[in-house]
Amino acid sequence: MHDRLLLGKYYPGESVLHRLDPRTKFILLIVLMVTLLVPKTAFPLLLLALSSVFLIVISKIPLKEILNSLRSIIFIVLFAFVINVFSGTGKPLITFSFITITEEGLTNALLMSLRLMLLVLDTTLFLTLTTTPLQLSNALESLMKPLAVFRFPAHEIAMMMSIALRFVPTLLEETDKIMKAQSSRGANYDTGGIFKKAKGYVSIIVPLFISSFRRADELANAMEARCYHGGSGRTKLNELHFTKLDFIFSLVFILISAIILFAHYRYPNLI
Amino acid sequence: MKQQQRFNNVQTVSNFVDQDLAIKTEKVNFAYPMSEIGVSDIVAVRDVSLQVQKGLHIAILGRNGSGKSTLAKLFNALELPDQGEVVVFGMNTLDDESVWSIRQACGMVFQNPDNQIVGTTVEEDVAFGPENLGIPSAEIRKRVDQALAIVGLSDYASKAPSQLSGGQKQKLAIAGILAMQPLCFILDESTSMLDPGAAGELMTLIKSLQQEQDMTIIEITHDIESAILADYIYIMQQGEIFFSGTPREVFTRPDKVLSAGLDLPQHLYINYLFNKSFKQAEIEKYQAESFEQIFTTEETVNAMFELSKIAKPEIITKTTSKKNEKDEVIISVQDLSFTYQKDTEFAVKAVQNVSFEVRKGEMIAVVGHSGSGKSTLISHLNGLIVPQQGVVKIADLNTSYKRDIPKIRKQLGLLFQYPEHQLFESTVYDDIAFGPKQFGIKEPDLTKNIEQAVDIVGLPQDILQRSPFELSGGQQRRVAIAGVLATDCSIYVLDEPAAGLDPIGQQEIFGYIEHLRDLGKTIILVTHDMKLAAEMDRILVLSDGKLACFDTVEKVFSNSDLLKKSGLEVPAAYNFAKLLSEKFGEEISGFTADQVTSNLIRTLNRRESDNDA
Repeated sequence: MHDRLLLGKYYPGESVLHRLDPRTKFILLIVLMVTLLVPKTAFPLLLLALSSVFLIVISKIPLKEILNSLRSIIFIVLFAFVINVFSGTGKPLITFSFITITEEGLTNALLMSLRLMLLVLDTTLFLTLTTTPLQLSNALESLMKPLAVFRFPAHEIAMMMSIALRFVPTLLEETDKIMKAQSSRGANYDTGGIFKKAKGYVSIIVPLFISSFRRADELANAMEARCYHGGSGRTKLNELHFTKLDFIFSLVFILISAIILFAHYRYPNLI
Repeated sequence: MKQQQRFNNVQTVSNFVDQDLAIKTEKVNFAYPMSEIGVSDIVAVRDVSLQVQKGLHIAILGRNGSGKSTLAKLFNALELPDQGEVVVFGMNTLDDESVWSIRQACGMVFQNPDNQIVGTTVEEDVAFGPENLGIPSAEIRKRVDQALAIVGLSDYASKAPSQLSGGQKQKLAIAGILAMQPLCFILDESTSMLDPGAAGELMTLIKSLQQEQDMTIIEITHDIESAILADYIYIMQQGEIFFSGTPREVFTRPDKVLSAGLDLPQHLYINYLFNKSFKQAEIEKYQAESFEQIFTTEETVNAMFELSKIAKPEIITKTTSKKNEKDEVIISVQDLSFTYQKDTEFAVKAVQNVSFEVRKGEMIAVVGHSGSGKSTLISHLNGLIVPQQGVVKIADLNTSYKRDIPKIRKQLGLLFQYPEHQLFESTVYDDIAFGPKQFGIKEPDLTKNIEQAVDIVGLPQDILQRSPFELSGGQQRRVAIAGVLATDCSIYVLDEPAAGLDPIGQQEIFGYIEHLRDLGKTIILVTHDMKLAAEMDRILVLSDGKLACFDTVEKVFSNSDLLKKSGLEVPAAYNFAKLLSEKFGEEISGFTADQVTSNLIRTLNRRESDNDA
């Protein structure tokens, strides 16, 4: 079940990417995404592709794992390619009855596919493969802290995220249990008409909801019993710390992005 | 003896020193407000006054809904009293300022292991409490490591909680509390969802905390065997303290304990049954005195021996229902093996080369420790899992054939643990009707089946139009059981149908099982309760996915090596019967209290008639 998660899962390791502060990774990812989406030409994208290859190498994660995460978006990439390849204007390259493929369309399609793949690749490398969900929610909490001035519930959101993560396996197990119990009572989730199928799923969803409410209630009690009273005055077992590594890494990537963006606006026709 | 004195002090000396008290309540009343939705308030706790001395182990017993859990919540300010006051280590729970100090001092371990873990890793969860208290990171790290070492989970520090077993999860909960450096542990039925082995381990851990770190332990439980280890017992009934005393004081009043809906330890129950079989008026006074002095097994054996010398018991003629066993094989499992996540590094062999046959009308107990493959095995019986290797046949239907599966499920009703969690319809009638309808049972049979099922589980017919979600937990359990019975299967597979119920609730469930036997049904009961297993015809012992033994109750329970190897206990009644045999100099057998008592009486009567002759 877990293997089918959209963007892969944490791959334990000690590489440079693993050791980066999750906040650094989060910010760099946003910078990279912007840089990926802005340019319309091939050269900057190839440069970014090169930097992704660099990331893959230093992450020390087997290529198979990384490609696995790309598999889940293969249809989106194909879809984007097809849409783009037929929507170009300009000099026709191939004409087959009513279908026309232009040179511009083909270039756009290739670039769009590359862009999408790089987006997913970078996200996977920075966030899912080398960062635990817990680090991620800690990073978000820390980054959103300044928003507390506007009464933004940064701590609460991070706490909800980590509890949601904690209960994913529990709820999967529960779903399986309920499904087995209802199947034993004759429920059938594979065959039958739409009405019968829908009825079948009600028999899973209602108990699942009820048990989730019960769990929420009991968990709230357990948290209160352990002195939980919101984010104020709370400390952390693992505090986040920026290191020299974060500094160097950020410098390199921000420099690359800055050059690309600068070139894009200053010399739009050059590259 | 010293302990005895400590209690006497608590109860008689009025100017005791408050510093010695962990918890003190004064005429506490608490009701759950329901008047908003037009129902009268539910009074949960009534006029409870008690005092718990520091460093003692207190057990609070009572039936489901007797107010035990509410009382526990009052102890650490999760609920506040409507009247009266609760003072915890000198702090009043009504005082807003001390709420966090109270909760830090009184850690609480809840019933469901899953619903009290907050962290995504084991160490993060242990750190949750200290984090809330605002303790510096370095100190938290130290406390987390210490706490995990005490409960023996150091190797699991970076694991996800979902990778732990139920017993380990409860140990994790204890570690999370230890890291807050508490003075007192409140256990709210913390062992009720664990198997006996894990529950025993948890209690050993708790006991060592009491002895080594001078913790105060407050344990809410149904488990008499664990209550007997407590220093003092409170028994609750309908929100009030019904009576209290040391284990000896409590269990030497068997009538009172039984009237509160609780069990007696097996040897005392056997003694109780034995005494009830004497009808002579002259020994009544003697009995009253004797009950007051009997607590240990040794005392019990001696008292029973003395009693047998002065009077003659009358034979209890308990009608044991006739076995309606036939030779026809109805379940046949041949060389069954199943591995989860086969061909991956996570492969777990759940069931290995299991073969057995069950005859029509038999009652089978399936026993084994957690993770021995019981659930996997029973999931094979109705085709929820299709065999990877081997054959499972129900009558002449084969679970490996897809077309046979609906027919198998109609014939074999499978009831999982905590079946009340699968209710989903808006009325009880619809919920019970769900199964039979899926199997194509039409009116008028449908209504007839439903009414019958509701009768068997002892629910009133007018409950059918109510919503299952407004019923109590025990009623919901019965509705869920009725939902399986209404299909009128010929085989029932029941997985721990009595789990989490109080002793009276458990007896009721066993009543349904006997009723089903009388109807000629075949029954397979998965259980941890050796008392229940002893009532079946044969016992199937699973150990690490393998069939360790499948034989009669006598053969299985007299094979102590087998039981030890499979992590199972001998029924307490059987052990006590051995002591009786020694004392009376004759072989007295039996695995349940009823069997042992009637065998003893029969032996005594036979001896008498031999002497007469």
